[in-house]
Amino acid sequence: MTPHRPIIYLNNAATSWPKPPEVLEAVNRCLALPPFGSGRTTGTEGEDYITLARERVSRLLGAGPPEHVVFTQNATDSLNLLIQGFIAQNGDGCHVLTTALEHNSVLRPLRELERQGRIRLTVLPFEDGAVSPGSVEGALAPDTRLMVMTHASNVLGSVQDVRAIGRVLHDHGVSFIVDGAQAAGHVSVDLRDPSIDAYAFTGHKALFGIPGTGGFWIRDPETVAPVRFGGTGSSSCSLLHPREMPERFEAGTHNYPGLAALAAGVEFVRTTGPEAIAAKAERQAAFIIGEVTQEPNVVVYNDRPAIPIIAFNIQGMEHEDVGFILARAYGIVSRTGIHCAPLVHRAIDGGNGCVRLSLSWFTTDDECRSAARAVREIAAHAHSQVGPA
Amino acid sequence: MRILRSVRHKVCADGSFMKEFLLDVPVTADFFSYLGNFGRVEAVPTLGDGFYKFERPDWFSIKGMAGDDTVEVRFKKEAMDLTTDFVYSLFSLYRDGDPDLAVLKRREQALAERVNRRLYGA
Repeated sequence: MTPHRPIIYLNNAATSWPKPPEVLEAVNRCLALPPFGSGRTTGTEGEDYITLARERVSRLLGAGPPEHVVFTQNATDSLNLLIQGFIAQNGDGCHVLTTALEHNSVLRPLRELERQGRIRLTVLPFEDGAVSPGSVEGALAPDTRLMVMTHASNVLGSVQDVRAIGRVLHDHGVSFIVDGAQAAGHVSVDLRDPSIDAYAFTGHKALFGIPGTGGFWIRDPETVAPVRFGGTGSSSCSLLHPREMPERFEAGTHNYPGLAALAAGVEFVRTTGPEAIAAKAERQAAFIIGEVTQEPNVVVYNDRPAIPIIAFNIQGMEHEDVGFILARAYGIVSRTGIHCAPLVHRAIDGGNGCVRLSLSWFTTDDECRSAARAVREIAAHAHSQVGPA
Repeated sequence: MRILRSVRHKVCADGSFMKEFLLDVPVTADFFSYLGNFGRVEAVPTLGDGFYKFERPDWFSIKGMAGDDTVEVRFKKEAMDLTTDFVYSLFSLYRDGDPDLAVLKRREQALAERVNRRLYGA
């Protein structure tokens, strides 16, 4: 194959790369010793990464008892457990709210329940990247029982005022599940505030873990029925799944190396400081946006993102071609398409999709300059030279 | 030109199927000019070593950078089972600017009839 140039990786909203050295070391250390899982071994050599990860996630999210942090495969898995478990616990037939900002990890479980006739669903539009508490209040019905929404858009990088929205919902007795897949690690989260009932996260994005890990925090486990059952390493004489936390929602062997990575990644975020991470992200995203919008045919859909995501198109070129050229001519990894968020794209680009650049703590200023220069060069050429060969 | 192997696959948002092919030699501007006999070619020759995109509506598209030994082929799923062999022929019968266009044109015509019959009933 053609020799590879250095990669400039700007697809961190999909999966972050590189990982902090501590994360790689944690995975190696975990795999170098026999696994330790409470109730599943008599060995004592291995570290209890599951408890360590639970404690660290709980501390980062301000989440209170670590036992209320549940581990899953990813945010999609978490949202499925929460949404389907909520409906199983509370009965069919209720009204549910969500927003047009959502990823398919929220939209598809809800649409499936709607298709089965088990819920009535309202999808709230957004304006300037945000859903307002007022629009939420206006959409409430007497039978509204649940709202599910993202904390930060994976296309627009806009952070939602989930605290204010949660208060509106709680004033009306409506439960609130928040999808923190993009926000956790980028945005300070304090779940001591009572406005949120459950918060889903993934391990492999801004928490710097590896794919295959995620989870959720839940305030009151009794509001969500478990929908997954099996071995837990505890209460093994009982033929019924334990109802204690966190076993209530966890079945089967944990992803030990994944949770070792998550524990190290979360500690990296905590010690680096969410404020420092956010400040750098804001500065770098603003720089790229300021640069690329100097080309008149670059359309940026989010001029002031709160997390480091830049969504754009170049007029006169297909987004897939722009992504292809960025990768092949400049070594820049982006993501093109609709980013599993079809309703966002219907609103911003007619549903056609766009190019997304997403940064991380490890993105350098030089890489931002290279990316901005590359987009500007492509835009300048697209403007004048696309045509038959 | 030979396709050595297919190195990556994915299903695209529009339902088309993408395969990335590793070739035995890098593609050139001349190769894409040759493809222009069978469809539309767009080019941005001044970007890097040159960006080229061939498209045959309803069949497939081929995208590449001059000097690169991989290309991205997107098959329209409705006719992919019919058109895959023709993609291989486009590569294998291209020999240093001296392809046998007559053979390929005959194959193209026969294939067009089959694809049109399937997609449009005509």
